[in-house]
Amino acid sequence: METKHNVSIEDRFGNRGTEVYKPVTEKEISDFLKKANEEGKSVSIEGGGTKRGYGGQGEAYDWTLSLADWKGVVEHQAGDMTVTVRAGTTIAELQTFLEDYDQKVSIDPCWPDDSTIGGVISANESGPKRMNYGSARDLVIGLRVVYPDGEVIRTGAKVVKNVAGYDMNKLFIGAMGTLGVISEITMKLRPKPKYESLVLLSVEEEEVDTLRSLAVSIQDAMIEPVCLELMNPQLSKYLTGREAYTLLVGFEDVEKAVKDQEGWMEYHKPASAQMDVKQEEDAREFWKAFSKRAPNALDQSDGETKVVLKTGSKPMEAFSIIKEAEKIQHEVSVQVESHGGLGHGISQLVVSGSEEGIVSFVDQLRKYAAKQKGYVILKHLPTELRKSIDPWGNYTSGLFLMEKIKKAVDPDHTLNHQRFIGGI
Amino acid sequence: MLKRKKNKREGMDPHIRSLMKIVGEKEILYKPEDLLSYDCDGFTVHKAMPKAVVFPENTEEVSAIVRYCHMNNLPFLARGAGTGLSGGAIPLNNEVIISMVKMKKMLHVDLENRQAVVQPGFVNLKLTHSISDKGYYYAPDPSSQYVCTIGGNVAENAGGAHCLKYGVTTNHILGLEVVLPDGEVIELGEAGVPDRPGYDLMGLLTGSEGTLGIVTTITVRILKSPQGKQTVLAYFDQVEDGSRAVSDIISAGIVPAALEMMDKTAIEGVEAGTYPVGHPPDIEALLLIEVDGILAGLEEQVEHILEVCRKRNVREVKVASSEEERGRWWANRKTGFGAMGAISPDYLVQDGVIPRSRLPEVLQNIYDISRTSGLRIANIFHAGDGNLHPLILFDSRVPGETEKALKAGTECLKACADVGGSITGEHGVGIEKKEEMRFIFTEEELEAQMRIREVFNPYDLLNKGKLFPTPSRCMDVKKIVKETVAVK
Repeated sequence: METKHNVSIEDRFGNRGTEVYKPVTEKEISDFLKKANEEGKSVSIEGGGTKRGYGGQGEAYDWTLSLADWKGVVEHQAGDMTVTVRAGTTIAELQTFLEDYDQKVSIDPCWPDDSTIGGVISANESGPKRMNYGSARDLVIGLRVVYPDGEVIRTGAKVVKNVAGYDMNKLFIGAMGTLGVISEITMKLRPKPKYESLVLLSVEEEEVDTLRSLAVSIQDAMIEPVCLELMNPQLSKYLTGREAYTLLVGFEDVEKAVKDQEGWMEYHKPASAQMDVKQEEDAREFWKAFSKRAPNALDQSDGETKVVLKTGSKPMEAFSIIKEAEKIQHEVSVQVESHGGLGHGISQLVVSGSEEGIVSFVDQLRKYAAKQKGYVILKHLPTELRKSIDPWGNYTSGLFLMEKIKKAVDPDHTLNHQRFIGGI
Repeated sequence: MLKRKKNKREGMDPHIRSLMKIVGEKEILYKPEDLLSYDCDGFTVHKAMPKAVVFPENTEEVSAIVRYCHMNNLPFLARGAGTGLSGGAIPLNNEVIISMVKMKKMLHVDLENRQAVVQPGFVNLKLTHSISDKGYYYAPDPSSQYVCTIGGNVAENAGGAHCLKYGVTTNHILGLEVVLPDGEVIELGEAGVPDRPGYDLMGLLTGSEGTLGIVTTITVRILKSPQGKQTVLAYFDQVEDGSRAVSDIISAGIVPAALEMMDKTAIEGVEAGTYPVGHPPDIEALLLIEVDGILAGLEEQVEHILEVCRKRNVREVKVASSEEERGRWWANRKTGFGAMGAISPDYLVQDGVIPRSRLPEVLQNIYDISRTSGLRIANIFHAGDGNLHPLILFDSRVPGETEKALKAGTECLKACADVGGSITGEHGVGIEKKEEMRFIFTEEELEAQMRIREVFNPYDLLNKGKLFPTPSRCMDVKKIVKETVAVK
């Protein structure tokens, strides 16, 4: 196990220990946690390091457990359409491996080259195509988790359907590493689509409501897009060169079915909309650029503060959240690049500007989201700002149960202490 | 009149009187003769009498009942339609049964956001029927869907034939209102909004077999019906060819909506049942395969499936020519378990899951178990997900045969566990498979799960004695099960 001592923890995102351990076996993870637990050391867990700006009140931990070297595919039976992989494997590595079998893990989070599958599962990251393929909770069927006392616990199984005992997988998905260290993940796979395309529909600001109506009729029609993502003009400008609200409608199926649906789009698009279609490789290239646009904690450059927000709402409310964010950004003088999933209700906003501007933007958007029964959390922001903005917001029903679960599983607060909602 | 009534109540158990005050006089059963039909659910091997059955009409009443039980140390459990196949709703400890059947309203449909809000007693198929005129449906389709309730589906994380492509219940639940075992009401996934920050308690509750809380309102995802459907029926002379075709179809990059298999004994059963379709009696296996989606793409997929079947020496393969024919094929399949009654006095259903690629070898093991036990085993199952349903045919009137059947069932589950599978894919553990939990989980892993139960249900008054083997007690339960056997 590679070990680094006296690591500098002076950086903008915190969540780091002065000693970094990089285990290469599960036993090393287990021994490490046992030792930390016995010695009362606090441990932060990291994979690719992209999410160090995600949650956390404490700036520093005693030790960091880096899973970056704990990588590789453990088991893959093409006919079973399942794969078991070590937590430190990056999304890109995993997809490249599966490519040879014409299969994929149907999850499309940010920064696939750097994000590890363990981190993506722990932070419950997803992308636009979750509309059709679901999110981590729909894909993970089994885990090996190292508990804070070093015990290795298996949850689920390597089968696609299973109701034996509690669905313990769910406990660790999105738990921000506060309950255990995910060592191995078994996931359902899907065949790589035989053909894919991406329809882009752009309209001027005053016409934006036509995209909403279109999204409603798309969902009410018998076509099956894999995503219905609305980009605001700034993000659209960066990715397409067109400063206009742009709706991304993706299709993945056999070629005939994809073309048929493109035809539907052509026929039903708003009169004022400009429509482009990206086929196959062009579509994939677009998604690559899309996934890399938001900042992450690997970028240590100074300069303007950038934060990343995730909002959740009823699916179609994502539309009003994107629109409201446009309004607020002008009021508080920040710049926003945003996209919202009209079929799944998760939106992501990159906000840059002065710290006061950002604080006030978050505050106003939170108020707006709450009115729609939605929420706003911060996926990425500097340690300093985490003191003035609670990344998680302040209300969640059932928080007392979550506190009890944390106490039952990690009574000494060994893992990612205070990284999660309510200081869990 | 009034006086007589008062006298009648005087001898009454004070708990019954108190519960009556909560739900009203008419919404409670407590006389032994009224309680008889609540002594078991779809798992009829074990029976026990409840203390009473109450029928709350809203969340407040459920909460009040639960609070009362909690304060008075009375065991209690929730029950839907009672179709569960693993004994999850059997009152092992003289429970107060909280029946959810009167909470059967659909509260809200929001097509724009593709969600519907229902009470737990709402019947599964009724949900699809209520929205089908607008072209929408609810995907999880357990075979008992015409009677089973959404609340029960949540408790068991119910599956069905079409979950191969669309997922099981947990993939379609967006929000839950839950009464915790002390009566407190919490809301999870409010307004059906995804990824609310915090641990995924909704995911934990779903499939917890009624041991963590009682669900009182459910927000589900609804889907737009597919544009087209094609259903293929394929007959094989060799079981192995059929099961290899299953893997071939999946490996070819096709995601069928359903991929079902039946073997010779099962075919004999369904053909003797209420919905025969004229399957040839001498074939060894059949596959029922359905693809759905964009019409323009279906033909290609069907062609591909036909080609795979031919490569695996299919005797005959056909595509349903009408909705009526498709309906008949599915009725034949969905009533398959019950149809076994036509060829055997009793049967036991098992529910193991295996990685699909191990299908040929596990089926062989099951045939070996059949041979050794001397009992016929019919296989009707969700081949696409590797979810096996061996139906062990026996006659409980023959001394010793029930024990043999139970033993054969356990051996089938062992065969699944041994290839890295699970002991249950959709029926749940209940009391039936408590002991078999040890086939797949270590003591520490079971303990990790029990720690979660303790968080929600610290006094273990809610559905006690289910799901987990208890070292001192599991042997006893096994014994009781064997002593009180009266299947069917």
